[in-house]
Amino acid sequence: MSGRTDHASQWIYRGVWRVLVDWFRVPKEPPTLPVEPGDVIETFQPAPGFLRYLKFWFWLGLLPLDVAIFAGWIVVTVFVPWLGVLLFPVAFVLAVVPDIVVYVALHLRYDTTWYVMTRRSLRIRRGVWIIREVTITFENVQNIHVSQGPVQRHFGIADVVVETAGAGSDSHEKGFQVTNQGLIEGIQDPQHVRALIMARLRESKTAGLGDDEAEFRPGRAWTPRHAAVLREIRDALAAIPS
Amino acid sequence: MSRTQTPFDPQAITRPDPVLMTYYIVVSVLTTVAFPVAIIVLWCKYHTLQYRFDDKGISMSWGVLFRREIYLTYRRIQDIHVTRNILHRWLGLATISVQTASGSAGAEMNIEGILQAEALRDYLYAQMRGARGDADEETPAVAGDAGDETLKVLCEIRDEVRRLARQGRAEA
Repeated sequence: MSGRTDHASQWIYRGVWRVLVDWFRVPKEPPTLPVEPGDVIETFQPAPGFLRYLKFWFWLGLLPLDVAIFAGWIVVTVFVPWLGVLLFPVAFVLAVVPDIVVYVALHLRYDTTWYVMTRRSLRIRRGVWIIREVTITFENVQNIHVSQGPVQRHFGIADVVVETAGAGSDSHEKGFQVTNQGLIEGIQDPQHVRALIMARLRESKTAGLGDDEAEFRPGRAWTPRHAAVLREIRDALAAIPS
Repeated sequence: MSRTQTPFDPQAITRPDPVLMTYYIVVSVLTTVAFPVAIIVLWCKYHTLQYRFDDKGISMSWGVLFRREIYLTYRRIQDIHVTRNILHRWLGLATISVQTASGSAGAEMNIEGILQAEALRDYLYAQMRGARGDADEETPAVAGDAGDETLKVLCEIRDEVRRLARQGRAEA
């Protein structure tokens, strides 16, 4: 894209954002999490590769459609020239308008996806028309999986899915309804995020099903003092003449 | 707007905000053909919807013919979802869905019609397990000698055995 069209498209995109923020109440700022002193809050978005990945599917899907529409129009024009002239605006609008809408939608999807992490929890927010936000504490995480398809590998991105024991069984609609999953899609270093969460999981002493930590506290177990007294009892017993 | 300036107290919430009825009316209008049915169902739901937030959990009940009541404890919350569509955002509403570890397909509880959704979400988050470092801080008090019943009993056994041993030696 040349400098001028780039500038123009940015201007249009900012306008779209203004409308969304002012009229449709789309929050512009990233979500936050309550942070404890000494904790760090990490706010990030999908990697730029994710946008290229989305655009790849966009071209793959819409280019053949556009070609088909124009091919159809050419056929009509060759056989019925007056109808072809009449249909030109229709064909043009049919071919180009969806492209622009989808293109803008992709950028919006990319820009409205936010991930926030602290040492204790994770918050994910995405969506433009329906804004969904999920908060998961690592204490409740049951498993994590990283998935990467060939196309995603080409763009250097991967998805990390964080699952809790919460309700929700349909994993095919991940991220688009209320499920037990936190989907961190399109990030560059999934291993880093996975390691962070796994480290937190290993620290946890519970099964993450609402069980109380109290029962698992080492403070309730035998201490060296108990052992010392027990040893004294043994010695005293041994000293009893039989 | 004066409501948002007072400090947020979830225990004061018992009923959804009247704006929820507006939302329900718009939703039923959007169903077009099903409008008469939808409006009756949603009207009943709005007028019977009750919330109670106590120290341990949330209770929610609604229904006229088929009454429903859900109770769940904060500690068993698995994750919190906040969903807002355009209508919600225009009216300042949100749906807070709370899940526990049961096997059902949907969320256990959909809290609707709360204007301070963000504050309520933060409150629920703070009550959730793992949101605070409470596990690390409470340990020392329990481990202290003073309150340790086991150690006390062991000391008594030791003293008793020693007394017996002394007695045995004296007799021998």
